[in-house]
Amino acid sequence: MLKDVTLGQYFPGTTVVHRLDPRTKILLVVLYIVALFCAKTWLAYLLVGVCLAAAIAAARIRLSAMLKGLKPLIFIVLLTGLLNLFYGRGEPIARFWIFKITREGIENAVFMVLRIVMLVMGTFMLTYTTSPIMLTYGLELLMKPLKVLKVPVHELAMMMSMALRLIPTLIEETDKIISAQKARGAEFDTGNLIQKAKAMLPILIPLFLSSFRRADELATAMEARCYHGGEGRTRLNVLHMAARDVLALCLGAALVAAVVVLSKFGL
Amino acid sequence: MNEPILKIEHLTHVYSQGTPFELTAVRDVDLEIRKGEVLALIGHTGSGKSTLIQHLNALIKPTSGRVLLNGQDIFESKKSVKAARAAVGLVFQYPEYQLFEETVYKDIAFGPKNMKLPQDEIDGRVRRAARFVGLEEDVLERAPFDLSGGQKRRAAIAGVIAMLPEVLVLDEPMAGLDPAGRESIMENILSYHDETNAAIVIVTHSMDEAARYAHRMAVLDHGRVAMTGTPEEVFSHGAELRAMGLATPVMTDLSERLIALGVQVPGNVYTVERMADALMALERGRERA
Repeated sequence: MLKDVTLGQYFPGTTVVHRLDPRTKILLVVLYIVALFCAKTWLAYLLVGVCLAAAIAAARIRLSAMLKGLKPLIFIVLLTGLLNLFYGRGEPIARFWIFKITREGIENAVFMVLRIVMLVMGTFMLTYTTSPIMLTYGLELLMKPLKVLKVPVHELAMMMSMALRLIPTLIEETDKIISAQKARGAEFDTGNLIQKAKAMLPILIPLFLSSFRRADELATAMEARCYHGGEGRTRLNVLHMAARDVLALCLGAALVAAVVVLSKFGL
Repeated sequence: MNEPILKIEHLTHVYSQGTPFELTAVRDVDLEIRKGEVLALIGHTGSGKSTLIQHLNALIKPTSGRVLLNGQDIFESKKSVKAARAAVGLVFQYPEYQLFEETVYKDIAFGPKNMKLPQDEIDGRVRRAARFVGLEEDVLERAPFDLSGGQKRRAAIAGVIAMLPEVLVLDEPMAGLDPAGRESIMENILSYHDETNAAIVIVTHSMDEAARYAHRMAVLDHGRVAMTGTPEEVFSHGAELRAMGLATPVMTDLSERLIALGVQVPGNVYTVERMADALMALERGRERA
């Protein structure tokens, strides 16, 4: 049921990709997205695609897991594809009623679909191979310079890691409440829209209550352990950039450069 | 022996099959629950108890195997699933967290209402269920969130009892309560059993409670049924229970120690009453000698 949600899930592993510094991986994803949006030719897309495939292979992520994560996006992807198909300029090769399809339209549609799919797959690579704790730690370190601008970086990171930490707990809790109400004969998939919305109340009210209770307990527990923000806190595991991180970042930069050059020359 | 009302046949449940998180929670379990019995389901944390009981009212589907309610497979059709939900009442761990209505009365009425019973029947059942769990009439009109922890627990159990299930399954119904609360909730549950002759399945860690109340016990270990039998039979395997990470009742420990010291108590003494009787018998035997 709810437990099978893959969006944003972490698959533990010990591959090179898993061992990369989270900061490296976040930056790599940024570089990857830049490269993806600079790509304007087939060859450039191919290059980005090969890099993605290599990363997936190196992380030993099963393709089925990737595709499963894409499932909820099918509608958006198809819609974007269709819209782009009919908005191409140039010489039409087919037309009916008010629609016309051009060569550029087809090309645009394919590029757009590829771009979305590869964008999602690339970001999945980050969450699939990086544990939520490492991810927020990496973000905190990357955002540290913003402290100069009085951005509460540590607090934001703490909030994020708590939110991430509580997602599985809340899913589990929701599962349990649904089961408990089902055990009392509740049905969630019958009736019209209003009845269905009403049927959610026995789930939402207990869920809200327990979220508040949990937040309250967590705040007390943190205070009891003298939590007072990020000032002077140290880490058990301090991150260090390794040679492989530098190498990976260089490869990422090279990818962006290659894509920009390829697109510039229209290859 | 009473005939079975629920029969579990070769039940296996695997979570997240085909992912790195694959976990076999229940493995080839055969178990029957007989009409009018009190069955204690024992096992340490993660032994598959909670997964197993959620199959009993068709909340989760077995990966393989069947669950038969009065001889009919409960997963056969939508109708049979519905019938199983009504016939088998399941009280989850910490059931007070599922309360949601404005008043206790409305919350207890949620189950019977879902069964589409007539209004006066619902009213009768709510009051009866409240009586079973020892809730006063005036509590019924209060908001469930104003009640004490123990009263919330009672209200939640009443919400399942109001469906008058033929099998009442409770997952750790006494968890987190004080000794007086534990005893009185257990007595409430037994009064439901006595009055309706429903079968009761209690999931528990407490061997002493199982020893006191159960007619029969089933011990789960790593998703398998390791033992079934009367408490007497099960507790005679004290060493095996301990090897599974389970405790034995205090009196079983005591009798084992006495036997080791050469005191001639019988080996099947597992409640305080029986121990008292056995020791008295010994004492009388010595006086006579």
